Amino acid sequence: MSAGHGAEAGHGHGEHPPYLAHHFDTPEQQFDTAKLGMWVFICTEILMFGGLFVAYGIFRSLEPDVFTMAHHHLDRIMGAVNTVVLLFSSLTAALAVREAQLGNQKKTSLYLVITIACAAIFLVVKYFEYTHKFHDGLLPGRCFGHPWFAGSPDGHGGFSGSSTPWYMHILQGDGCFDRTMARPLQVLDLPARGNMFFGLYFMMTGLHGVHVVVGMAILTWVLWRNQKGHFSPEYFTAVEIGALYWHLVDLVWIYLFPLLYLVG
Amino acid sequence: MSDAHAHAHADDGKVHAHITAAWFLCAIFSALIVLTVLTVAVSYVDLGSANTVVAIAVATVKASLVATFFMHLRHDKPFHALVFVMSFVFLGIFLTYTMNDLGTRGAVDRMNGGRHYLRHAERAPGGMRDEDYVPPATPLPSHGEHGGGHQAPAAEHH
Amino acid sequence: MATDVAVTDQGHGHELDPNLNYLQAGRGVLSWLVTLDHKRIGVMYLISVLTAFFMGGVFALLVRLELLFQGRTIMGPETYNRAFTLHGAIMVFLFIIPSVPAALGNFVLPMMLGAKDVAFPRLNLLSFYIYVVGAIFALYSIISGGVDTGWTFYTPYSTGTNGSVVSMTLGVFILGFSSILTGLNFLVTMHKLRAPGLHWRRMPLFLWGMYATSIMQVLATPVLAITLLLLAVERTFGLGIFDPALGGDPVLFQHFFWFYSHPAVYIMIVPGMAIVSELFATFTRRAIFGYFAVAMSSLGLALLGFIVWGHHMFTSGQSEFATMAFSALTMLVAIPSGVKVFNWTATLYKGSIWLTTPMLYALAFLVQFTIGGLTGLFCGTLSVDIHLHDTYFIVAHFHYVMMGGTVFGFLGGLLYWWPKITGKLYDERLAKVSWFFVFVGFNATFLVQFIMGSQGMPRRYFDYLPEFGRYHAFSTVGSWILGLGFLIMAWVLVKSLRSGPPSPPNPWGSAGYEWQSASPPIVLNFPEVPTITRGPYDYHLATEEELFDGFPEDRAKK
Repeated sequence: MSAGHGAEAGHGHGEHPPYLAHHFDTPEQQFDTAKLGMWVFICTEILMFGGLFVAYGIFRSLEPDVFTMAHHHLDRIMGAVNTVVLLFSSLTAALAVREAQLGNQKKTSLYLVITIACAAIFLVVKYFEYTHKFHDGLLPGRCFGHPWFAGSPDGHGGFSGSSTPWYMHILQGDGCFDRTMARPLQVLDLPARGNMFFGLYFMMTGLHGVHVVVGMAILTWVLWRNQKGHFSPEYFTAVEIGALYWHLVDLVWIYLFPLLYLVG
Repeated sequence: MSDAHAHAHADDGKVHAHITAAWFLCAIFSALIVLTVLTVAVSYVDLGSANTVVAIAVATVKASLVATFFMHLRHDKPFHALVFVMSFVFLGIFLTYTMNDLGTRGAVDRMNGGRHYLRHAERAPGGMRDEDYVPPATPLPSHGEHGGGHQAPAAEHH
Repeated sequence: MATDVAVTDQGHGHELDPNLNYLQAGRGVLSWLVTLDHKRIGVMYLISVLTAFFMGGVFALLVRLELLFQGRTIMGPETYNRAFTLHGAIMVFLFIIPSVPAALGNFVLPMMLGAKDVAFPRLNLLSFYIYVVGAIFALYSIISGGVDTGWTFYTPYSTGTNGSVVSMTLGVFILGFSSILTGLNFLVTMHKLRAPGLHWRRMPLFLWGMYATSIMQVLATPVLAITLLLLAVERTFGLGIFDPALGGDPVLFQHFFWFYSHPAVYIMIVPGMAIVSELFATFTRRAIFGYFAVAMSSLGLALLGFIVWGHHMFTSGQSEFATMAFSALTMLVAIPSGVKVFNWTATLYKGSIWLTTPMLYALAFLVQFTIGGLTGLFCGTLSVDIHLHDTYFIVAHFHYVMMGGTVFGFLGGLLYWWPKITGKLYDERLAKVSWFFVFVGFNATFLVQFIMGSQGMPRRYFDYLPEFGRYHAFSTVGSWILGLGFLIMAWVLVKSLRSGPPSPPNPWGSAGYEWQSASPPIVLNFPEVPTITRGPYDYHLATEEELFDGFPEDRAKK
């Protein structure tokens, strides 16, 4: 391995660039260290999402028919649009890295802005999908098909059948969140077991959504640093690392989309 | 510095990362879009269980493209690729064992691995079988009004 | 050269004189709280884990005291359930897992590598604060009603019971991220920051152990995170993945939990093994017999840790095929464990044994880990485990490994590196007295538990049948001896801090790399980047100066 290219390249030669932390000998060592750290982090993220994929695999193999029925309630066109949006944002993230490597500060910023905008579009689409599921009562676990959700919107934040907005039920911890209450309704054409599909749907896309938000924050930070002129062809580590994180978000979605929207 | 193809590796301590051409990145993106369209199109055709296989295969090709080119694994240190692949190996161990357990419960001992919701009389992976279920001597209070089938408590910890 | 260049302390900008030792560089509480120095972060971790150890120990003594007599002694059954849960959760998540890697490892690891710091110093500090936040959540759950699920949080009980399960699981969830970040940091540091000449075959065995530990922390802990997240969502919103009434499977929780927690058991024991490898080398004055085999056995344990988790679930309703596979695979764990024990024993043979207190801890480790490991084979045998599962036999088994192994290794390592960390010597005679009480107390407490377990005394029970009375009484008295030993140990450390004589750079005459620095080390660990020309146990290649006086530069400064 390339640890420590000799002590002679270390301190005291007046060539320690400002971006080089004191415990590294060379910019190359610093860059490789950051990248290895990010790849190990990606590894942990894969294992974390992996737990949900394992749960998905198990419940799908136990109830394939229910999953097939349930997944028809997801809008695959919306899912496909979101896929394209995320893939495009991945492209612009890769292009941002390229421009940073070439030292084009303005183009780097442009591509970063596009990437962040795509992330926002993704979240907006997701918002409409979630709202739709809430209106239909397609909810996880005990909340599946609950009347507070399964009604139609009454125009001011609540649903028919209840004058209280649904989030107040969450805050008050009553209703379907009461663990002793059985599921009161059968939803649409779905058997009660459909709750498991939507439980996994909300957990998987929810955790992914959190990663999208975190990714937006990271990319915004990278953009800010780029605007400050921190990066150069010799030092663009943060752009590279931020882009790697964003590609990871894309990677997870690449699997979530077919498993949830296409084959259920 | 702009054309990194010229620098395989130099030992001057500077960063020598590969710079991917813009047209190449766009080509990869186009391939990803084509694959997305393909996988959505296939989902409208009923191929039975082959649908799942196709969907996962296409997703894996897409993920490989992203990892190899967008994430620069192609020109990166092989160790990074190893780290990446190892995460899937360990995930595979996790998935295989757990699926193996859930898939073979009750294969030898019928009492093991019954699958029944006590409350709703529907199948459940962890519950008990209908025919194995002996109602308690003194019926416990039931939960909720709408549960069909057995009006029996779900779990022992209420 | 390096010595006359002021170093900018990254992150908060003031200049530091690199010739000062790390304790003198920067004054005041704030200079500690925002430090990026791995040594100071290690010391902060050390204080935290020792506090957690004290708390967990108090709960342990309370649990034992309650079991002194049949029926109610000092607390009721509800309180008893909370006490043993908190003992387990605190000891596992707040003490053992961070004890060796985050506290001692943080201090020693970069020094053993000849590096100035870990790869990501800011991440290192962040991981400490994440630990603190996790600990606050855990404390909150104690104050707000406690948790009575056991440290394993098994569903469906944990989704139904009262108490603050959610805050405890969130606390452990957060602590998990601290552990992940430490592991990630160490892994990358060992790959990228080794001093020139320090190739893999020259890595000290402590680092090989840390490497294996880091792999497990990085790969397994994320699964714990998602498990506890699912549990919290299940409890709060009725998700149903672990609830059979909603189509879920409670045994799936155990799969998820043990996929992390079995590797976690090795996250706890492998660092203990790593420390005693160092102790055996230093105090026998020779290279560890079978160095490469011991190094690889650490990696072997790390990998095996991922394929045997089902042996915790033999009686859970898991499928028969899975239990058979897991039982067979569990036997494989004996191989790397045996490789270690035999090689340590071979190292003792014809070594120049110096019976210092750290060495006594290492020898106790060797005996107690062997007992714990061999009884592990009983538990891993499918048919025998059906009888032993959830009895005191299991309790005794894992205490022999976790406490007789890891805690003894940790205490040995703490005393071994104490002169390096504080720059002060401790009272060796008093330390030996404390070792004696700890050793006798530990074995008195837990050896009888094998007997009552094999006779059917279930674990986690508030009360017991009269025939177990004498065993329980014996065990409780043993726990008092153990507690007394720890009190003396604490006094040894306090006394050393207050009035210990200053330590020479290398009080043990070790050939290890970390001893070639000043005591306490300077901010950048070494005056200049060391070039490694020999292995860490090559006593025949080490010079007189290296073994007894540190580097000449250090001596000149005195």
